[in-house]
Amino acid sequence: MDWLEQELKDALAREDPPADFASRVLRRAERPVTPVYRFPRWLAAAAAVVVLAGTGLEYRQYRGEMAKEQVMRAFEIASVKVNRIQTQVREVGK
Amino acid sequence: MRAASRWRVLVLALCCAPVACGQQFQINLDHLTAKASETVDLSLNGSTLQFAAKFLDSKDPDQNKVKKLIAGLEGIYVRSFEFQKAGEWSPADLETIRKQLKAPEWSKIVGVKSTEGETDEIYLRFQNGKINGVAVIAAEPKELTVVNIAGPVDLDSLAELGGHFHIPKMDVPKQKDVH
Repeated sequence: MDWLEQELKDALAREDPPADFASRVLRRAERPVTPVYRFPRWLAAAAAVVVLAGTGLEYRQYRGEMAKEQVMRAFEIASVKVNRIQTQVREVGK
Repeated sequence: MRAASRWRVLVLALCCAPVACGQQFQINLDHLTAKASETVDLSLNGSTLQFAAKFLDSKDPDQNKVKKLIAGLEGIYVRSFEFQKAGEWSPADLETIRKQLKAPEWSKIVGVKSTEGETDEIYLRFQNGKINGVAVIAAEPKELTVVNIAGPVDLDSLAELGGHFHIPKMDVPKQKDVH
């Protein structure tokens, strides 16, 4: 037997487990497994829809307020001019 | 129809699009923008008016009146210029607009010219015997305003609204009931 054979024999020699090995394995097996949390796809899609809808509504509100201001400004100019002309006509008629 | 003729019709239609889509006459006053100290350019078509109407508060008296006025309107177009000094706009500017406001489509109902250099004119556009548009020209030495309201307009309501604007609102506290 040369030295290499002896080395292999020592390395592969049968070895008994420690006395508490079985109990340790059982204890580990009994421990509750922590589930890996996976974000549901439908929830991600729903969240995206909610965010998009919210942004859309916000933009619609912004556009509406802008349009309202422009309409009020347009009618302010038009009505003030017509009112002034009407007043002038009434004064001429007196 | 030949292809060239079709193109001509298409180009002509596109050129006339601003007038066809609501605006009843062209307000060619762009050259005054550079001279003006303040410019207002508002072009609101029917769909914009109806969209804006949804955001007008019926509880606010002015907004409620505007809401009623814009029902059925096809558009409102305003060009207003304010100048630092007199003489920046010329009578020719008014003439280009007046040329478009001719009978039988348009009728001039008011024309006021003051010694202070003010010129005010109101034109009505009739269709099937009903008012279908208003044109207002209000010219002062340092200000020029042209308005086109397209659609059925109640002039009295419009003038009444003008009397309300610029009047500050006052919150009058309600009197407590005395028992």
